[in-house]
Amino acid sequence: MATREIQVGQQLEPFVIDSVDPEPMKTMAAILEDPNPIHFDTNVTRELGLGDQPVNQGPTNLTWLTEFVQRFAGGPDRLVTLKVRFLGNVLGGDRFECTGTVTAVDHDAGVAELEVGATSDGRPALGGTAVIKLAD
Amino acid sequence: MSDYGHLAGHRFPGGTYTLPPWLSWLWADACKLEPDWATAHQGLAYLVALRGAGVSIQDIFDLMDATADSGVVFGEFQVDYHGVLRPGATYDCEAEVVEVERKSGRRAGVFDKLTFQVKVREEGSDDMTIVCTNSWIFPRAERSD
Repeated sequence: MATREIQVGQQLEPFVIDSVDPEPMKTMAAILEDPNPIHFDTNVTRELGLGDQPVNQGPTNLTWLTEFVQRFAGGPDRLVTLKVRFLGNVLGGDRFECTGTVTAVDHDAGVAELEVGATSDGRPALGGTAVIKLAD
Repeated sequence: MSDYGHLAGHRFPGGTYTLPPWLSWLWADACKLEPDWATAHQGLAYLVALRGAGVSIQDIFDLMDATADSGVVFGEFQVDYHGVLRPGATYDCEAEVVEVERKSGRRAGVFDKLTFQVKVREEGSDDMTIVCTNSWIFPRAERSD
């Protein structure tokens, strides 16, 4: 939990998905009503030159980054802002890892700023910033 | 190539959206997180905003004259949290297109960046729960001039 003891430069505990499972992408496509076949039809990913694996949905990657930040913050009620850029595809079978650093701490306001990001098999996948409330 | 800048200010239908507890559970499960009937994952902000806007992904593709296989990707996503999302809660939502920018890059070629914002309040409350600002990238077949 991010308490008032946290310091600028502190690294967040990484969040890792060892191997992105393609099967839940089908559930997520149905939930999202996302018609894009790159998430479930590998014939299409091959035709588009994306390879033999389906592409994970951006909202799933976003959810993992959100989970990563809220674990550090100490709960969902401690999120203030999350701003994310989508930098690259996350493919089935990839190793997905979120990392982050504390970049600012405002004790008076009780908030901290974080630089966060994620890689997928070492490729940039997400980049962004977050603001969290500090625990007492 | 037509320009989509005129869509700035375009209001999506908006309305109310109730976050089904089963969907909240499945979302966490599909993300390989621990599903919890009592708590919605805050990553659901994306879906609540989209559903609350009253449009489907296909509707937005149609607005931008894009197809499902035209290579549309996410650009940026910002959530400002003023509260937490709850399974079973009903949300009042307002949504509009903020801007559409025509851009080009050496690798990406010509593309349109659509930015829209959704304001989400729990039904009956004056207080905001979340504000989502979302941009999508629409590649255009033509290359930069």
